[in-house]
Amino acid sequence: MKPNEFDVIIIGGGITGAGTQRDCAMRGLRTLLIERSDIATGATGRNHGLLHSGARYAVNDAESAEECIRENMILRQIAAHCIDETDGLFITLPEDDLAYQQTFVEACRKAGIGAEIIDPELAKRLEPSVNPDLIGAVRVPDGSVDPFRLCAANMLDAKLHGGQVRLHTEVTGFIREGDTIKGVHTRNRQTGEETDYYATVTVNACGIWGQHIAELAGVKVGMFPAKGALLIFAHRVNNLVINRCRKPSNADILVPGDTVCVIGTTSTRIPFEECDNVAVTPDEVTLLITEGAKLAPSLSQTRILRAYAGVRPLVSADNDPSGRNISRGIVCLDHEERDGLKGFVTITGGKLMTYRLMAEIATDLVCKKLAVEKACTTAQTPLPGSEEKSYEAVAQKVWEAPTTAQKAAASRMGTRASRIRSSNRRDDDLICECEEVSVGEINAAIDRMDVSTLTDLRRRTRVGMGTCQGEFCACRAAGLLVKAHGCVERERKDLADFLQERWKGNFPIGWGDTLREAEYTQWIYKHALGL
Amino acid sequence: MKLQEYTTSAHNFEECMKCTVCTAYCPVLQVNPLYPGPKQAGPDGERLRLKDPYFFNYALKYCLNCKRCEVACPSGVKVADLIQSARIKYDTHPPKLRDQILASTDFMGTLARPFAPIVNAVTDLGITKKVLDFSLDIDHRRTFPKYSGRSFESWLKRRSKEQAAFPEQVAYFHGCYVNYNYPQLGKDLVKVLNALGVGVQLLDKEKCCGIAMIANGMAREAAKHAQHNVEVLGKAVSRGLKVVTTSSTCTLTMRDEYPELLKVDNSAVRDSLLMATRFIYEKLEQGATLKFRADYHKKVAYHTPCHLEKLGWGVFSERLLRMIPGVEFTMLASNCCGMSGTYGFKKENYEASQAIGAPLFEQIKTLNPDVVACDCETCKWQIEMSTGYPVMNPISILAEALE
Amino acid sequence: MKFDTVIMGGGLAGMVAGIALQQAGKNTAIVSMGQNALHFFSGTFESLQAPSERLAELFSAAGIRVHYRKGVRLMPLGTFKEAALSLDDIDLFPTPKFGRRVLIVNFLGYHDFFSSFLAEGLEKQGMECRIRFLSLPELDNAKAHGEMRSVQIARSMDRIWEKVAQEIRLLLKDEDTVILPQVFGLLDDTVPGRLRQAIPARVVFAGTMPPSVPGVRTQMQLRRRYELLGGTFLMGDQAIRAHEHDGVVHSIATHNLDAHYLEARNFILATGGLYSKGLVSNPFKITEPILDLDIDQPQDRNEWYNPTFAGEQPYMGYGVKTDEQLHAIKDGVAMQNVYAIGSILGNTRPELGSGAGLAINSAFAVVDQILRCTQNDNEEPATPVILSEAKNL
Repeated sequence: MKPNEFDVIIIGGGITGAGTQRDCAMRGLRTLLIERSDIATGATGRNHGLLHSGARYAVNDAESAEECIRENMILRQIAAHCIDETDGLFITLPEDDLAYQQTFVEACRKAGIGAEIIDPELAKRLEPSVNPDLIGAVRVPDGSVDPFRLCAANMLDAKLHGGQVRLHTEVTGFIREGDTIKGVHTRNRQTGEETDYYATVTVNACGIWGQHIAELAGVKVGMFPAKGALLIFAHRVNNLVINRCRKPSNADILVPGDTVCVIGTTSTRIPFEECDNVAVTPDEVTLLITEGAKLAPSLSQTRILRAYAGVRPLVSADNDPSGRNISRGIVCLDHEERDGLKGFVTITGGKLMTYRLMAEIATDLVCKKLAVEKACTTAQTPLPGSEEKSYEAVAQKVWEAPTTAQKAAASRMGTRASRIRSSNRRDDDLICECEEVSVGEINAAIDRMDVSTLTDLRRRTRVGMGTCQGEFCACRAAGLLVKAHGCVERERKDLADFLQERWKGNFPIGWGDTLREAEYTQWIYKHALGL
Repeated sequence: MKLQEYTTSAHNFEECMKCTVCTAYCPVLQVNPLYPGPKQAGPDGERLRLKDPYFFNYALKYCLNCKRCEVACPSGVKVADLIQSARIKYDTHPPKLRDQILASTDFMGTLARPFAPIVNAVTDLGITKKVLDFSLDIDHRRTFPKYSGRSFESWLKRRSKEQAAFPEQVAYFHGCYVNYNYPQLGKDLVKVLNALGVGVQLLDKEKCCGIAMIANGMAREAAKHAQHNVEVLGKAVSRGLKVVTTSSTCTLTMRDEYPELLKVDNSAVRDSLLMATRFIYEKLEQGATLKFRADYHKKVAYHTPCHLEKLGWGVFSERLLRMIPGVEFTMLASNCCGMSGTYGFKKENYEASQAIGAPLFEQIKTLNPDVVACDCETCKWQIEMSTGYPVMNPISILAEALE
Repeated sequence: MKFDTVIMGGGLAGMVAGIALQQAGKNTAIVSMGQNALHFFSGTFESLQAPSERLAELFSAAGIRVHYRKGVRLMPLGTFKEAALSLDDIDLFPTPKFGRRVLIVNFLGYHDFFSSFLAEGLEKQGMECRIRFLSLPELDNAKAHGEMRSVQIARSMDRIWEKVAQEIRLLLKDEDTVILPQVFGLLDDTVPGRLRQAIPARVVFAGTMPPSVPGVRTQMQLRRRYELLGGTFLMGDQAIRAHEHDGVVHSIATHNLDAHYLEARNFILATGGLYSKGLVSNPFKITEPILDLDIDQPQDRNEWYNPTFAGEQPYMGYGVKTDEQLHAIKDGVAMQNVYAIGSILGNTRPELGSGAGLAINSAFAVVDQILRCTQNDNEEPATPVILSEAKNL
């Protein structure tokens, strides 16, 4: 087999693509993943980061609820370092119907979700930030998940199983022979280099962009873009996920994730052309803050770090081209069966929570096509980094007396933190002070995780995700990237792009301390440093 | 609900812009590489600690609580309060016996005072110091404050009638140091206030302000003292009295640390609690006068203690000293002396403590003043021990210069 | 306490005004909420195109060395910027190509100095560059916790600069220029000059991430000068309220002095822009928090920003409104004894320049205005009550 030939090509570096690549690679297939940008740049990285218990779907969508709780329990086992087992509350406020609580709890039980009605007073003790006016509370096994880390860990595991990854590479067309897809034409968006890759099966795992990829292949997959806006607050206000116990609506989930918490979302249909550049409007910001403060009143007086929006990859059911009957469930299309196009599979719909199941379904189909008989083991095998359950245990094992930065590294890298134990004190130099990310951790990401820009680095290490939004660390990290790829000119542009990308999320919430920080960043880069 | 109600952050630590100005002015960071520095220990660390208390770093104990980070912060972040609050909240180690002893200033004072000559002689002995060093980790190079044979309280009690005769009255929170170690400062204050026509009263049984307990991991005990003190201060305030002090640290503790760190509400008494220097300055501004000796002459170098710097009241001490006709005044550059209460007594801090103070000591030696003036007792121990120059409270200089 | 003038804000504008007024025999106080924007000072006084003798005098009396030459300066990321009046730490060149062969020296473990960016920038100008790192145990020992900032290094450099010079001499081959991070001369401002003499090549200091070492030193020098002139510097305090009557402010309350008000005949507002909280913003408007002065700004928050980071940002231009003499305007009326100077003006007065230039120009303008007014009045200027009493005693 030639170097450009694979068993399977996966298009899309979101969690579905990464998960599918991992599953395929673990079943012994030669895999290539192609992503036009970086990992987790679509819906994967643009949601709450909620480890759903499924409770949110229990009343209206029992199937999704059951999938969620099953995958929830699996992820706790295989992705410990990406997950925070916080638990969650579904609260009833005076304006909500308390009777819904009963319906809700029963539906949860039916779906196999442990849902326990607790006294509102106990809820206040468990989660002091919760709206003290609550009249009802249910405790469920919600949690939070870091989608970037989860995506990176899947991709890393795929690579450890021989998989190859091409990021910042766009599929420009398909290599088609008769009714069979034989491979893809690609173009590297950074170097402009064009390459063809061949595979027996190509998997379209592009989320909302899957419609476009399908079109390139000559088949039709109807997607319905729905924008969801979210706000990130500068610190953890809550330690338990807080949801409203009512029919799902706008801005009714507050999720603590790493050092921050996230409120969301809204839901607006947008034209397909806007998917690549969704912006958060002032009305959405107002809605998110006012609704969010009903869950945790202190949110109204907490610094907002940034605003962002994602596009849900909703799929119209095949028998309903009008799009009215939209499914939030998993959709796996065998285009050979559906459209008579061989060697092409689309896996879409679903959610972050069920990515592993989606990957399993897609990989089963791929294996069937390749006549490979190997069972899926992704539900039993921990992701690289997740071999220990707690980061305390990791930190204590790797370092005798871990510093805060080392503890933070253990919480981000899991057992892989052992790779950054170093006798060279220079490796402990801090680059990002807000999130405490060291030179060693950054170099580890550059070495192993396909980092080519500062924004890529941010997704893998949290550099620039803290309060200063990269003001100080961006320059320092840029220095390390120059050392790695050797081109200052490219890095200069990268630095400017990074600052622009940060600003995009800052100005919709540009007042108070956020605006002070923005003014300071302007001074530093324009006047003091001369970018 | 309107967005009008949703404006800016109410969380002080979120006002940090990561500018690291605090880091530039932290005296500990300059000498102790184990200390993470005020920004990391304070606002940076707070975000991580809110995620999980596991991120608490025991190296926060190296913070002197000098508050210089807060004075320097251009954003008004209460950096030192964040650090001290984190220690109170997350440090689960029980305090060592040594720290308990160092923290219990009034208890130790009560015990030691009747045996003052013996205690003073014994703590001066090389062998005692070695024993303390070995058994308790109290550094043997330290000079111990002397205990006085008779407490200030008993001295003033005997003069209560005479004091009550003055047309105006203040209450005096003398603190442990004046009571047990150096009653002369209290006597000096009485002299100056009397000269202004003000009589001095004791509070109804004050307790140690509690700062040493806060510093040594005994916040619960400190809060008990705080509650007690707020109560006795309240009694005086309700009688229309101002309460004056001669210690900048006691004042800062009772005004700011009580509500910020110990969560003890002092709003009823806070504004009535003043440094004596501020009280005296305000009397003079309102038209009172003091008569000074014509033959008084002294070269005075003034050191602003960290906690007075934080209070922002150094200006009163400075102006009072400058007002004395015979005083040749020099302002020393603002620099922590390194002692910080009980911090410098601890064996593990001795080197850092001396290194922090070194620039100050050098400046004093170069100036070669007759006396160093300073409103803090622990700065006094440190400067006297490290430079050999005598240190006097501005109140004592005022008293000495009076006709 | 009573003063002729109380200045709110201890940055460059407030400090220059304070020193100039003290020099003119006035009795002033500066209330400064912590340290200030001088800590992020690039070292170049932008928009001061003409050499000002008055400024040079004020600075030289404070021990601050500045030089003037129309040219370009090297920026920390390897770009060049036009500059004229600068601190002596900053080299001004007639053209960007100031050398042929350049040795760029950084300290191992110091990430706030951008040697590779500098090298690329200089190579674009046709210079040959070599980057070397010095490993200094003194710096290693100063940081067990990974954070190393300019000021920490500068503290060591005041002591060990000779050793550094020696190491650089060993590294030097045929280079005509050595570029070093600007971490010399924090407390001892003779160090940069002595270092230059000790190295047999032209030494150029390039800026670092803030804090700016020359900026911090300048701030210390200005404060020392101000206090030597008898000014009252209230560090770490903040004006929280002004007491006014018929458009005239008679006193202000500060956070630390609470009921002890600062009285004065004139008040200068030099509290800075948004960063320094001279202006504060909420989702609906930008306000001036002490006096609630008038600020021109669009109703719609979306107009505050330019979505392009690199573009001009409208919000940075908003400032308090003033009349010709820089009297602050409230409810459309100029307040007769309140002046606004420095970056709180935003770019409402473009003729006064921007940045450090605006700070200095507006400070001098207001000082002149205050001095003219007191000359016209026949009243004795107020002196502090205590000092006059002391003379009587």
